[in-house]
Amino acid sequence: MIELSSLIAGVVLLLLLMGLATKGWLAARHLQEPALETGEADVAQPCPDVFVSRVFSRGDWEFVHGLGTDDIQRLFKRERKNVALVWVRQISAMIKKAMREHAGVARQSKNLEFSTEIRIFAQFLTLMAVCGILSIAIQTAGPLSLAGLAHFVQRLSLRIVKVQGSFQPAPLVKSAGHA
Amino acid sequence: MVYPDKMTTVEQAYDDLSRRSLSRIDGDLARLIYLASTRDYNTGKYHHDGLAARFQDEIAGQALELAHREIFLQIAARSLEELVHHVEVYVSSSPQSREEVLQVWQKLEPYRVALPVDVNIALAQLFVSNIKLALAILRRRYRRQEPELASRS
Repeated sequence: MIELSSLIAGVVLLLLLMGLATKGWLAARHLQEPALETGEADVAQPCPDVFVSRVFSRGDWEFVHGLGTDDIQRLFKRERKNVALVWVRQISAMIKKAMREHAGVARQSKNLEFSTEIRIFAQFLTLMAVCGILSIAIQTAGPLSLAGLAHFVQRLSLRIVKVQGSFQPAPLVKSAGHA
Repeated sequence: MVYPDKMTTVEQAYDDLSRRSLSRIDGDLARLIYLASTRDYNTGKYHHDGLAARFQDEIAGQALELAHREIFLQIAARSLEELVHHVEVYVSSSPQSREEVLQVWQKLEPYRVALPVDVNIALAQLFVSNIKLALAILRRRYRRQEPELASRS
């Protein structure tokens, strides 16, 4: 009986995570288009850690708060929210690209390890769910109290991209004798 | 084409650029604008007459691009308070009135042209956003100062 309830709880949790991931993805898609377009090169290039520290820390907010002007404070909150959402969208795109490339490599592989594939997929799902949660949290509360979650996403995304990089096949070398 | 009398490494060209040109410019933002202005709008290639006279054109271009990218990363990582200071230094060094420069910068957003090519999109967005905030903060600050200055005189 306990095992059955654990299973049900696990399935519910998984569905919840998938729901959040989908909601976050949809929210990210409906964001106001930023002035700067995201291209393939941007997706391939991870954001430096200093960015996460800057956008999600309270340092700049304390400076703006100290100025004592409501319109500047409102502008700051709006701007930081937009920048943080662009970052989340970039991370989501980076992860999706890494998974697409991984799936391509996996399809050609003859010695797939089921457990490894499940682990990678679970990491992907976790990250997409956290991106979804982060996206909703940024939209509702702003980025200033989400530094811990943002650093977690940054670390995990870099790890996935690194793991994906190690799966890339070596470039084919054409020998002189072949056309 | 090989120029045997010209030095050939990007590092040497970069040092030369830092020593002769960038060290004479006051403030990181002014340096960023200066470096961005050495880039051709149509080709995206960098050119600096003085540097090209001492180094191969390609090497000089690479040194300019490297310097541009580095100064951008330095500015993008700065706190908002520091950036406000750099924008203030830049605005104060202009022959036009501070209010006029701030107004034009807010309208035309010329700082967008100062972004290096292929820079991370989120970082670029942070830079643009911080400049916008710095301009708004400075305009507010100068408006507050105006009545104080008028009452003193």
